[in-house]
Amino acid sequence: MERVECIKCVSQPVIIFRHIYIYTQHGGSTQRGSSSPRSQRSGDQVLLRMGSVGICGSDIMYWQRGGNRRFRLEAPMVIGHEGSGTVAKVGSKVKTLKIGDRVAIEPGTPCRQCFQCKQGTYNLCPGITFCATPPDHGNICRYYKHAEDFCFKLPDHVTLDEGALMEPLSVAIYACRRGEVTLGSKLLICGAGPVGILCMMAGKAAGASQVLITDIDDNRLRMAKSLGADHTINVNGRDKLEVAGEIEALMGGQPEVTIECSSVDYSYVLGIHATRPGGCLVVVGRPSQQTVLPLDEAFRKQVDMKGVFRYTNCYPAALAMISTGKINVKPMITHHFTLNETLRAFETAISHDAKAVKVIIHCDQ
Amino acid sequence: MAKTCNNLSAVLQGLNDLRMEDVPIPEPEYGEVQLKLLSCGICGTDVHLWKHGGIGGLPVTEAVILGHEASSVVTKVGKGVTSLKVGDRVATEPGVPCLQCKKCKAGRYNLCQDMQVIIPKYCGSLTRYAIHGADFCFKLPDNISDEEGAVIEPLAVTVYACNRAGIQMGDTVLICGSGSIGLLCLLTVLARGATTVLVTDIADEKLKIAKKVGASHTLNVKGMSPQEAAAAIEGILGEPVDVTLECTGMTSCVSTGIYATTRGGNVTMVGIGNLSMEVPLGTAAMKEVDIRGILRYCHDDFTNAVKLVASGKVDVKPLITHRFPLEKSLDALKTTASGVAIKVMVRCADN
Repeated sequence: MERVECIKCVSQPVIIFRHIYIYTQHGGSTQRGSSSPRSQRSGDQVLLRMGSVGICGSDIMYWQRGGNRRFRLEAPMVIGHEGSGTVAKVGSKVKTLKIGDRVAIEPGTPCRQCFQCKQGTYNLCPGITFCATPPDHGNICRYYKHAEDFCFKLPDHVTLDEGALMEPLSVAIYACRRGEVTLGSKLLICGAGPVGILCMMAGKAAGASQVLITDIDDNRLRMAKSLGADHTINVNGRDKLEVAGEIEALMGGQPEVTIECSSVDYSYVLGIHATRPGGCLVVVGRPSQQTVLPLDEAFRKQVDMKGVFRYTNCYPAALAMISTGKINVKPMITHHFTLNETLRAFETAISHDAKAVKVIIHCDQ
Repeated sequence: MAKTCNNLSAVLQGLNDLRMEDVPIPEPEYGEVQLKLLSCGICGTDVHLWKHGGIGGLPVTEAVILGHEASSVVTKVGKGVTSLKVGDRVATEPGVPCLQCKKCKAGRYNLCQDMQVIIPKYCGSLTRYAIHGADFCFKLPDNISDEEGAVIEPLAVTVYACNRAGIQMGDTVLICGSGSIGLLCLLTVLARGATTVLVTDIADEKLKIAKKVGASHTLNVKGMSPQEAAAAIEGILGEPVDVTLECTGMTSCVSTGIYATTRGGNVTMVGIGNLSMEVPLGTAAMKEVDIRGILRYCHDDFTNAVKLVASGKVDVKPLITHRFPLEKSLDALKTTASGVAIKVMVRCADN
């Protein structure tokens, strides 16, 4: 890992394809601003001293592969988007936050003017600025500037670590909303990584009567069981139709909602086989280029397949669930690193031996 | 004065005090356009502001230009505007939400608590020149006249109301009130495929227009109690209605709707009346007849209103019954207040 230092600088881990440099540069925001009139007046922005930032699978993807079909890394980019921080400065028009307030940071700021924004699906805003999606910089750094209304004040008893977890929890809440998980729902979740576990927690909080999680890793399934899964199945090498039958037997009926959190083709097919007719398969993971699906079965059963792109209007619910204790994310945080240890943090996140669930980087250390 | 005036405007200086004044021509800032007003319709709200100095609990505390149902042509384009150019004709959506609060972000910006409606900057359309946020301007195709463009705003109200009411094809609908809003509701429900629409009012002349515009049935409810009116409606139709669109603001009509609507239906309140009303709410609850409120419109209601008129699915021209030039704005308000008109249209452009 190379280190470039200068005096009086702000440390920001920066991704260049397959490398993380701790690039220290003189102050200031490296963020591309959005083009809305609102962002022209930086009066309603806050400067944050960054606190905790979690590592997400997408951060790892930019590091390892330089991007996906849609977003490519063309220039060095500050990484990280699951963040929380403390207000260090406030713009002249800021009304709801003051210096010293600790906040969770919702990383996407939309244009607010387009059709998507006005109808409430601002996650689909074509002009959205989103942390650590090229070319927008992320917030694994010392200081970071953000719109006031996308910062959510944390009550005293909620830690900065929990604030950082509100981002992936929002993904889970949105997936449950898209699937219309409700009181009494039977919920199948494919994939027991951090997103799958958070979907389980969100589903139970929404009233799901049972949650069954599948994975190919027994350790992950054990963690899921300890955190509340009613049933688990290791699907390694198993026939999908057989597994679908076992799911129905274990749950006493087919699940109404399946949330796919593994990005593995096996799970999409399993979801279509296992879901009850009239139910819904919510796809959080990303399929490969050539996914073969039994579409005729999905259509005949009226199993709707719904994609998910990040989340919209979920941070308030995520904060309410964490601050009231209805959802406890603390057991998911398995590793901690300082800002200068960012590369080791990323290596830990992908290490099979480390068995990491959620890795946190402490940007204030 | 009108001949030497650069920006003649109908300014409400106070209760019952409307004056024609010259107002500075505003310049567009970032994201805004400057507009030359073409036509402006008069609404009951304008009359209320003039006669009562406020509406819905919101008092007018400083001088404002009246009018908000407008068609205009873009005369200047502010920085950052890419969706419009000089010469484009537009209908304007009044009201400036904050776009930052929970309601705005959830797609219900009409419910924004900081929504600015009666403010000097963006309100008045009874003027020659105004400014407006570009993202709240909707282009009018060439086949829509200036006057039709000025009916887009109230039509957007009824488009939104019919969304909230959940009007479906094949529905039987009761519309209380045959004024401009009732008739626009009539046009909208027909465009959504309602097959039986009964309109009530207390004036036969208004009901004649409803019949011409497409109502399958009309009923003069003058002197009837709500229960009598509901029984008469069911007598004519042979069944209760699926949905009631209440367009008078009268307590008696809300009650009529509750009695006349089938179980599981709804009464959607488009008209604005007293803040407190005595209505058979228990009856509504036991029938699962929901009472739904309306506050203006939201996101694509303006776009859909333009599409309805441009496609010919809705013909609003018969609703325009009286016309005045901008100089005669006070007469326009008085005519609206008298109740003889359906829609009064003011010509703001001096050509």
